[in-house]
Amino acid sequence: MKFSVSSADLLKQLQIAAGSIAQNTVLPILEDFLFTISNNKLQIAATDLETSITTELDVKADSNGAIAVPAKILLETLKALPQQPITFNIDETNFGIEITSSYGKYRLAGESGKDFPKIPEPDAVDTVGLPGKVLTQGINKTLFATSTDELRTAMTGVYFQVDFDKLTMVATDAHKLVKYTYSNLSSDVATSFIVPKKALNLLKGAVPEAEDVKLAFNKANAFFTFGNTHLVCRLIDAKYPDYNAVIPVDNPNLLSLPRVDFQNSLKRIAIYANKTTNQVVLNINDGSLTVSAQDLDFSNEATEQLACTYEGEPLVIGFNAKFLIEMLGVITSDEVKMELSTPTRAGILLPNEEPDEERILMLVMPVMLSN
Amino acid sequence: MRKIIHIDMDAFYASVEQRDNPELQGQPVAVGGSSKRGVVASASYEARRFGVRSAMPSVTAQRLCPQIIFVKSRFEVYREVSNQIRDIFFSYTDLVEPLSLDEAYLDVTENKKNLKSAILIARQIRKEIEDQTQLTASAGVSFNKFLAKVASDINKPNGMKVILPEEAEAFLEELPVEKFHGIGKVTAGKMKRMGLHKGKDLKKMSELELVRRFGKAGLHYYKIVRAQDERPVNPNRIRKSIGAERTYSKDLTRLEDMKEKVEYLCEVVYNYMEKKDNFGRTLTLKIKNSDFKVITRSRTFGGEIRRLADLEQAALQLLEENIQPDHRIRLLGIAVSNLSKEQIGGGGIQLEFDF
Repeated sequence: MKFSVSSADLLKQLQIAAGSIAQNTVLPILEDFLFTISNNKLQIAATDLETSITTELDVKADSNGAIAVPAKILLETLKALPQQPITFNIDETNFGIEITSSYGKYRLAGESGKDFPKIPEPDAVDTVGLPGKVLTQGINKTLFATSTDELRTAMTGVYFQVDFDKLTMVATDAHKLVKYTYSNLSSDVATSFIVPKKALNLLKGAVPEAEDVKLAFNKANAFFTFGNTHLVCRLIDAKYPDYNAVIPVDNPNLLSLPRVDFQNSLKRIAIYANKTTNQVVLNINDGSLTVSAQDLDFSNEATEQLACTYEGEPLVIGFNAKFLIEMLGVITSDEVKMELSTPTRAGILLPNEEPDEERILMLVMPVMLSN
Repeated sequence: MRKIIHIDMDAFYASVEQRDNPELQGQPVAVGGSSKRGVVASASYEARRFGVRSAMPSVTAQRLCPQIIFVKSRFEVYREVSNQIRDIFFSYTDLVEPLSLDEAYLDVTENKKNLKSAILIARQIRKEIEDQTQLTASAGVSFNKFLAKVASDINKPNGMKVILPEEAEAFLEELPVEKFHGIGKVTAGKMKRMGLHKGKDLKKMSELELVRRFGKAGLHYYKIVRAQDERPVNPNRIRKSIGAERTYSKDLTRLEDMKEKVEYLCEVVYNYMEKKDNFGRTLTLKIKNSDFKVITRSRTFGGEIRRLADLEQAALQLLEENIQPDHRIRLLGIAVSNLSKEQIGGGGIQLEFDF
């Protein structure tokens, strides 16, 4: 089997697929790309058995066939070559691969394409279409809030809820929670599933904002298709916590202030906070917010005062500054609102304005102050 | 000059058992499991005479003292007695730093009863403890934590020792290095091989020399041998982890042997967690190979590990996942961190959603 292809075109597709290859693989063949040629189309596949990416491009081939190619050595070779046509010559008896460039020849040992794990394909399942921009935005706004606690597997992923024309993405680690809703969807299904972090990280980098993404799913897997790329991931098989139950409905104290000023203040004050707790104290009064922190171990402390609008009882409440900074970082509006109740109940963070079809709601649990 | 008292209950768990069960009085008693893999959590003074010590495998205790009586631990009772004792401490001062259920530092420089004499306070506290609990405690009285701690050990059990400022340096000069709190068995052995037997030998070493030989701990030795210890009595001391490790004279090569050692370490750590009433969420296994390469592997759970069986199961699983067939092991260690008490005091407590 023999085929020719542009080195740069091939590299581009390989880099997309390479994201699913794990750092420490269990099986040597998982360090390979699977190349499958069929009618002058090269399909590239890579997998870690949980997340798989396949993509394809046009080549000039003399026959059809399949071969597993060591990923690392191939990527390094292509990165070191200036753009040019290259030729692959594959010996189907011993799986030897010979690459020819304008400079010379490179030989490497492949493996039988038959030994490569089978990548799940969508069966007759439900599909939803959404703009790439919506998916990447939803991921960017939620992913940071997921948990790393392996004992609470449900929370290590992002919860997708499709409800006809509405997509809700939720992430939480039990300390903070983000709920992102997009309500201009084209679908005729209602379902929910949990997508693992790794797949979302890969999608974030690979989905072109201008293109539409087709999302299909069955009980075990989710399939994301954009352009000629498919990403399949195994869904997290766990029950997502009832997040709606923890969203407070009656937080009477309303704080409103410029987002960037608030975030920058927190970044400065956090430098003086205890490094393990990142605890900052918000002292909120009519018209003024005092942000302060101290680290008793090093006798560090800092205080700043910010102008704000506040309707409610004077309140002293502690938060992990890192959480607030991250949350403010995914909001885009100039002003933000915080809806608070007591120093031990969840606070709500909201943008002051947002596009019609989007809603974002964030929750954060306070740090209970010791005195 | 501060006035610091270190109070230490005498053979705490074993004494509680002897108090509550007259048949055990005057008998060698060990609290802990008597099974093949059990560990002694506390030994009565009758048992200590045979060389039985806490953290000793129960089989060793049995060999040293064949008539020893093993009693199952009753931590609810120990905790209750511990609270009783703490209430007595708090009637004198709020500056109480509990080290475990049966041990605490008190700073009585200023005290609620306006007593001038720390010696008098220590005497009263010991009497109140005995009246209220029928258990005895030993006390050390001095002007810093290190000296108070060393002193409480001198006239144990049911005794007390005062180290006055003018006596401190002379006392420390004559103190054998292994009696210095903070110098363990291994370091003491190393010091003796260097010809350092008593405080006065240590005192001859320069600060630089001590740091060169003993690392950061050398700085501490330099100070304590000069009776310098500025550490305050901290009612909110935060402990980061609880652990135990052992170096083996012969490398372990059989998985069965390693498992047995890990089970033993788990029990030691578990007893310690019970004693400190402080349980953790993260378990770490440390393995040092015969070539001195160290690996550590951790696992974090959603909640605290509160049962010995859970701790053992998790530790054995970590062990089995990380042992190659040709492993030769020199050292094994078990530690638990992410402790429930870690966050208290140092700051606030991060609250969680109620899912």
